[in-house]
Amino acid sequence: MLKVENACITFHANTVNERKALDDVSLHLKPGDFATIIGSNGAGKSTLLNAVAGSYLLDSGYVYIDGEDVTMKKSYKRAKYIGRLFQDPLKGTAPSMTIEENLALAYSRGSRRGLSRGIKKSDENMFRQRLSQLGLGLEDRLKSKVGLLSGGQRQALTLLMATIVTPKVLLLDEHTAALDPKTAKQVMGITEQIVRDNNITTLMVTHNIKDALSTGSKTIVMSNGRIISVLEGETRQSMTVEKLMKLYSDTAGDSFSDRNLLD
Amino acid sequence: MQFLTLGLGSLEQGLIYAIMAIGVFVSLRILDIPDLTVDGSFITGAAVSVMVTGLQGEGGGVLYPILSMLAALLAGAAAGAITGILQTKLRVQPLLAGILTMTGLYSINLLIMDEKPTVNINGMTSIFSDIQNWFVALFGDSMGVSVAKKLAVIPVLLLIVLIVAFVINWFLHTQIGMSIRATGDNVEMVNASSINSDAMKILGLAIANGIVALSGAALAQDQNFADAKAGTGMVVVGIASIIIGETIFGKRSVLNNLISAILGAIVYRIFITVVFQLGLPASYFKLLSAVIVVIAISVPIISEAVIKRRARRAKNAKG
Repeated sequence: MLKVENACITFHANTVNERKALDDVSLHLKPGDFATIIGSNGAGKSTLLNAVAGSYLLDSGYVYIDGEDVTMKKSYKRAKYIGRLFQDPLKGTAPSMTIEENLALAYSRGSRRGLSRGIKKSDENMFRQRLSQLGLGLEDRLKSKVGLLSGGQRQALTLLMATIVTPKVLLLDEHTAALDPKTAKQVMGITEQIVRDNNITTLMVTHNIKDALSTGSKTIVMSNGRIISVLEGETRQSMTVEKLMKLYSDTAGDSFSDRNLLD
Repeated sequence: MQFLTLGLGSLEQGLIYAIMAIGVFVSLRILDIPDLTVDGSFITGAAVSVMVTGLQGEGGGVLYPILSMLAALLAGAAAGAITGILQTKLRVQPLLAGILTMTGLYSINLLIMDEKPTVNINGMTSIFSDIQNWFVALFGDSMGVSVAKKLAVIPVLLLIVLIVAFVINWFLHTQIGMSIRATGDNVEMVNASSINSDAMKILGLAIANGIVALSGAALAQDQNFADAKAGTGMVVVGIASIIIGETIFGKRSVLNNLISAILGAIVYRIFITVVFQLGLPASYFKLLSAVIVVIAISVPIISEAVIKRRARRAKNAKG
């Protein structure tokens, strides 16, 4: 479903600040795969997500989504296939528009937008039902402006918006990192449920080693712009936080920061 | 009688500038772009309107003036689209993009007007002529010809304002309109929803300046002439109207915002008329507009600071 081949991105090429953000990265996710990405700061996790989403274009290499070469496609065109969440809960929603307006915009993703009414009566019930699945009581607040919601509520809404038209690929960039621990857990739970229910191919960046090992079916370990290890199956199951840290410092000559250990 | 004329005059001007305020509302509040194209596109509308109206032959006919309004709308939209393209495709800063288009439009407007600084269409049929003739026939004897003519303008302008407001309110609730609103609200969210935010900005600015040009055309039809130099500070007048409207009439929904902008423009005109009646020279008009915008923006900030300081002082006095 998602294939990245020999992806390279260099920032500030030919200057003293030259940095290989992605160095020959290849990755293949089958339909329904849920992979987590872990690595220290500057390992290239977010760059990889940005490269898949089209926010950065590759210097060399290819990105395929469902067999289609999207390497040179602009990000808004790729967004047809991609649902995306950022760390900042404010990034995914339009604050001065209502919950239902936000959902309606997300619901028209991928289809042509015209001069028909933005919010259709028939969609309202569906919105209400999907919102109630979040368990946050948002289904009774369809006409509330999104700016009035808390960070956790906004992130949960963004998650619903990203998946209301089932995307071919879901990209999660530390989407619970800015939330308080209780809300983060709740949003992560909702994430796992939605991904499982819709069998969405998902790539999730996290700084939390525990989450990286317990969520999804694969763990991709990155360092200095390269994938240094892909953990799956039994190797992954037997992996512990301590073992992974040792593996990291042995193979990468790099170490996780304290932040990676926080719950 | 003088009071009535003044009242009618400020209502008439208020309605003309209400059209412009709707246009400025679209760029400033919906797209969150302070668009200076307005100073140029307002005159483009006036220029196109007088030139197309001037094409009417012997005996006139209301067709040309009406066509001239549509032509003005399209010309303004083209100007707005250019600003939009500068901003998005060529990455010119929004303020600078507006200034560049506005500056370029000064020459374009003169070219449209056959390189004459003013063009007048006195004696020709305007969009108001027919209804003015009726009003003069009906009320000319009782209230005088000039008052009847002024009175006749009001329903036509009101109709234009209502049509523009209705269409914009409808449009902003369509799928495309909602995409434009979201673009002004959160560009990242818009791109992530597979909406082309550049196209939405260009379209939004085209619509905004189309409406502004329509307002310029209405003024030209009302005054029977266009002046290439009259555009300076128009955007400030528009912003002042919007802020006054929001302060008095609120800003809860799109429709509420539109009504606030319209009423704000009218209140602003009445205020200006009163101030000038009290003896302020007319040359202070633009200064007054600028000062109103500054006051309207700074009052909430200053009052907040004053409240905070007072609260601290009260606390200190207690402790």
